[in-house]
Amino acid sequence: MNFGNRGNDINPDDVASVTVLAGPAATALYGSRASNGALIITTKSGNISKKAEITFSTTNTFSSVLKLPDFQNQYGQGFYTGVNSDGTLSYDTQDWGDNWSWGAPFTGKVEPWGQQIDGVQQQKPYSATPNNIKHFFSTGFVTNNNIGITSGNDKSSYYLGLNSENSNGIYPTSVDDYNKYSVRFNGKANLSNNFYTSVNFNYVRIQSNNVAGGQAGGSVLQSLYQTPRDIPIDKMGNLNNKYNGYGYTDAGGVYHPDKFGFYNEFYPSPWLLLRDYKNYDDVDRVTGGINLGYKPVPWLDVLERVTTDFSSDRRRLLTPKFSYTPADPGVIGDPAYPAGIEVVSNGGYEEDTYTTGEINHDLMVTAKKNLNDDFSGSLMVGNNVRLNNSTVTVTSTNQSAGLITPGWYNFGNSNGPIYATNYHSTQRRVSVYGDLNLAYRNMVYLDATARNDWSSTLPVDANSFFYPSVSGSFIFSELLKGSTIEKILNYGKLRASWAQVGNDAGPYQLTTGYSQASIADGYTNGNTIFPFSGVPGLMINSTLGDARIKPEITTSREIGTELGFLDNRLSVIANYYSNRSKNQIVASSVAPSSGYLFSIVNAGVIQNQGVELTLRGTPIKTADFSLELFATYTRNKNKVLSLPNHAQIQVGGFNGMAIVAQEGKPYGEFYAVSNQTENGHTVVGASDGEPLPTANAVYLGSYNPKYQGSFGGTLNFKNTWMLSFLFDTKQGGVYYSNTKSGIDFNGTSAETGGNRNPQIWANSVINTGTASQPVYQTNTTAKFIPQDYYANFEPAGMDVVDASYVKLRSLQLEYQLPARLLNNSPFGHASVGLFGNNLFLWTPKSNKYVDPEMNSSGSGNEQGFDFTAQPSVRNYGFNIKVTF
Amino acid sequence: MRPINILKRIALIACPAILLLSSGCKKFLDVNQDPNNAASAEPAQLLPTVEASIGVVLGDDYYTYGNIWSQFFTQSAVASQYKSIDQYAQVNADFNYGWQHLYQKALINDQLMISNNGSNPTAVQYLAIGYVLKAYSLQLATDAFGDIPMSEALEGSADKNPHYDPQAAVYDSIFALIEKGKALMDNSDPNNPGSADLVFQGDMDQWTAFANTLELRAYLRLSQVDPDKAQAGIAALYGTNPTFLTSNAQISYSSTGGNQNPYYIKAVALGYYENLAASGTAVNAFIRNSDPREFAVFEELSGDTIAYLNQGTFASFVNKTCSPPSALVGGDPQDAASALAPVFLISASESYFLQAEAVARGWASGSASSLFTSGIDASFAADGLSGTDAATYIASAPDAVFPSGTADQIKAIITQKYYAMCGSQGFEAWTEWRRTGYPTFLVTSAAAGGRPVPLRFLYPQTELTGNTNYPGTVTAATPVWWDK
Repeated sequence: MNFGNRGNDINPDDVASVTVLAGPAATALYGSRASNGALIITTKSGNISKKAEITFSTTNTFSSVLKLPDFQNQYGQGFYTGVNSDGTLSYDTQDWGDNWSWGAPFTGKVEPWGQQIDGVQQQKPYSATPNNIKHFFSTGFVTNNNIGITSGNDKSSYYLGLNSENSNGIYPTSVDDYNKYSVRFNGKANLSNNFYTSVNFNYVRIQSNNVAGGQAGGSVLQSLYQTPRDIPIDKMGNLNNKYNGYGYTDAGGVYHPDKFGFYNEFYPSPWLLLRDYKNYDDVDRVTGGINLGYKPVPWLDVLERVTTDFSSDRRRLLTPKFSYTPADPGVIGDPAYPAGIEVVSNGGYEEDTYTTGEINHDLMVTAKKNLNDDFSGSLMVGNNVRLNNSTVTVTSTNQSAGLITPGWYNFGNSNGPIYATNYHSTQRRVSVYGDLNLAYRNMVYLDATARNDWSSTLPVDANSFFYPSVSGSFIFSELLKGSTIEKILNYGKLRASWAQVGNDAGPYQLTTGYSQASIADGYTNGNTIFPFSGVPGLMINSTLGDARIKPEITTSREIGTELGFLDNRLSVIANYYSNRSKNQIVASSVAPSSGYLFSIVNAGVIQNQGVELTLRGTPIKTADFSLELFATYTRNKNKVLSLPNHAQIQVGGFNGMAIVAQEGKPYGEFYAVSNQTENGHTVVGASDGEPLPTANAVYLGSYNPKYQGSFGGTLNFKNTWMLSFLFDTKQGGVYYSNTKSGIDFNGTSAETGGNRNPQIWANSVINTGTASQPVYQTNTTAKFIPQDYYANFEPAGMDVVDASYVKLRSLQLEYQLPARLLNNSPFGHASVGLFGNNLFLWTPKSNKYVDPEMNSSGSGNEQGFDFTAQPSVRNYGFNIKVTF
Repeated sequence: MRPINILKRIALIACPAILLLSSGCKKFLDVNQDPNNAASAEPAQLLPTVEASIGVVLGDDYYTYGNIWSQFFTQSAVASQYKSIDQYAQVNADFNYGWQHLYQKALINDQLMISNNGSNPTAVQYLAIGYVLKAYSLQLATDAFGDIPMSEALEGSADKNPHYDPQAAVYDSIFALIEKGKALMDNSDPNNPGSADLVFQGDMDQWTAFANTLELRAYLRLSQVDPDKAQAGIAALYGTNPTFLTSNAQISYSSTGGNQNPYYIKAVALGYYENLAASGTAVNAFIRNSDPREFAVFEELSGDTIAYLNQGTFASFVNKTCSPPSALVGGDPQDAASALAPVFLISASESYFLQAEAVARGWASGSASSLFTSGIDASFAADGLSGTDAATYIASAPDAVFPSGTADQIKAIITQKYYAMCGSQGFEAWTEWRRTGYPTFLVTSAAAGGRPVPLRFLYPQTELTGNTNYPGTVTAATPVWWDK
């Protein structure tokens, strides 16, 4: 269940500016959390000595499904039952309740389907419903409304922002709603005696219901994708219709609460899942900060800053309890063929609470001085203390027996002992840092930083780590001032940097403890759960701690240039970098025969090298009209240079697909069983013609793209009309698609279409020798059956898909009312806009599955995984903004 | 963790850099003691975990494979969960949980119980049981998977990529572990595990009988590959005047959620579908012998019949209702009494049949024929049938005749053991079929699709991707070392 990340909690309308702090400057100030740079989001706080201003803005966005898997449209419900003498398959025609699409080829003939209720079966042509999945989804809508008030006098100013965001997602009905309300107050004041102060406060409240995805019980997507191709699931939303619903009234007016009429006896209807399975989420988050500064003399600034961030996230998961038998009485007179089996859920109720708290203190002393006309400098020294606390409690009704009474979601209704776990963590860090800046004539700049952290999560006697940096830049165009070259090259800068950043471990990774025993089996959180008949039991944890874990240190080297031509009509930014990460802390999957499943380890040395290019130009620029275009290109090469103490580290994985780090290979290689090949020929079994799996896992490519790029532009007409667009792309890299695995299994994916009769695997060979001394011969006899291959044998290695894409990321049209029109109105500014995001996606033909950007686990080691990801959406809408 | 008062907290927050090395700041940062987990565990807290884990392996992970490949059960025609077992269509990932429950639940907790208490005088009986359960678990692993990690396994950070040991070496360790455990067993030791022992409630005499029976089972397993060793080992065992099990070594379950029979819990999680049906192979053998145990281990349908499917024929009888395994063997999700079905580590009838075989082979003294009869009696008793029922069966059933001649006697003993294990010890029945070829009436599943009959489990996916010393997948059709 994905409940989103807390980055969503900042209201974009409250943002005054966003600064990207890359490299050393970020790490000195923000430590390891800024190891990949930092986004410094400054929220509005009003302007001193500016008149009061009220801004109202509204953004209204519609969303629809961007990419769904490609499905086959040749075969319907059912499965094969045998091979006929002519080599074709015979199919099951009796089972109304199957969820497979491995049935007979479509005929177009009108035939009965689904359950026979009150003696009547529904009729429909036996043909594909090509858009049954697409049309299941509806158009989502988000309305975001914002009021901002700023005001100031000669000493102080404030900003008050009120925001609401109400949305209803792409699932039909309004179950996937999301409502967010936030209020922000920022104020600042210059006090007498050279003190200055500011406070900020932000409160966010979110209430939402999330639709389960992935392979979770109650996953609507799973139920939807497992719909045979002839079933019009999009039109089956009326659960009062006896052929769609659960509980029905028969022809005689008698209500049967324990009968269901839906066609599928293995999965509940996605419409039922939407209606009755709930994943409520309530979030409260308060962030705030106080700055108190003192400038005793103009060149000295002492700033004390305390910030806090507290959030509480309460989730309630409701799984209904039910037990239904089919309304269909079965084949009358033939007790051997009853209608089908009972559909049962024991139900359940779970409450999860996540509370986190962070307190940050910084004391920074900055001295700035112009030494003479040519030299200026500043020195900042600071101290940071960071405290993090988190608590997680998960409580649920008995995980096996569920609820006693349907519809009552309370722990008092637990059928058996309540399941409860809790987790508490504390993490503390103390840091000192310094930053020295020197400048010579706006031409040469030198910046050196240093930071030392002491962390509670590292071994007590080795909890300190130091990371310095130095960077310099030289604006050589200053030397060209006045020369003719300046007409062409008006700006030129060279820069170089060397920087380190360190990072500590998570809390409690030094030891391996024992917890209450519970023997999970992949279907339940605990098959056998302790206490067992009153006897308590403990078990060793599955993750092995490392008492001597070392901090991670990443060292980066970078050189770059910025060039401006023709009065900045054309500019180029180019960077080359080479980073080495040492001792990255990873929870690596290990062989279970070691007694553990994961182990906290320091990985070896991983290198990232690459170039970043930005080209920006203004081909047209007149008094009324300008066109600006830009393009970026990034290429990163990544390689595991060494892994001392480890032959290989498995940094992630799921469903038989591992992600590993192996010396000499890119970090993040997929590693799994695939089909065996011999000189490009697939090796198949001599007896059944099915492709044979490899005896060992093989490397299947990396999720890292070969390169990324973007292309965008802005057309501006009289500063009233603005049209902008942005394309971006990633090329190369692969992802693992669990969606593919699921719809292949089910016989709905496009690749399961075509000929389904027993056939020879194209270009296959068989081994006529022995396992140790193979002799491969062209296969001319052994025929495989596609259903058996896709439903049983297809290995994870065959579910690796090209992750390349090109996206039209955004397209925007904005109209600003000209000032002269507003002169006689109460408005200071007014604009309207139309926009679209993720409007189009182009993927290679081989990607018939999901948007490769749908990465289920976000950043981190498990990139490139599609765990039956929710479909990505395209957004389009309009906004209006006026100020008074 | 002791509370820190507010003043101190403020003082600490303001802790200047220069004081970092002072004791106050050291204490401030000394907060990494994990409050969420216990730092250590008593043997009494680990032993039940080890036993319950073995219960999950036998009662869930191995249950379906064992009972389907020994042809007691077949995939039913009303659902499809275990189709691939009848289709002989296994992939590595199918065996992840069985392996994980053995190594990462049973064996590691057993190993920690042993290695953390080597000099603990109050833990001697735990160690005794621990050695024997380690032997039991290793046999469970090696009989299924062949060569397995052992000498380098369970070492945590010392070896995350254990090499695999040959099955012969694993068997040598099994014998050594059993001897080591037996030597420590003392029923008069005041530090008795009592209720922490889910199998015998601390009755160490029963554990001695268990250890002897396990040793006999393990030596007999080598009858084809190394008969001299088997004979010598059994002779040495009998030289100690051993006791053998006369009652079932079992784990009992209750109806409490999370404490039910492991297969039943899985079946509930899967929505109560009746995935398993009586196989024609077993049912027809019962019918040939008018064996009333047929009605104990399978549910009767109306008309006092057991409706079976011939092995692997589910596709030809779509939606046909068949007899599921009975609640007695935990196999009927629609019958809540399945929750109470015990899991047998070694059954009393198995104990008698093992002894009967040792005698029939001339490797031990005694009366093979009366041990054979005792085995049948114990099986009838376990199935809730009367002594009269057993006597009638013994007097009339063709397969209850104890023949003359070693080969025929072994055939009769293993065939009877097969009947006794129907539904309750499917994995051991399949294993004994692999060793002896008995019973002779097993067929090739109709769903096999030309694929060869499996003779072992595949190594799990988690080893394949997680162990750099993975030896490569051995195909399911390759016999294990003792299977000659």
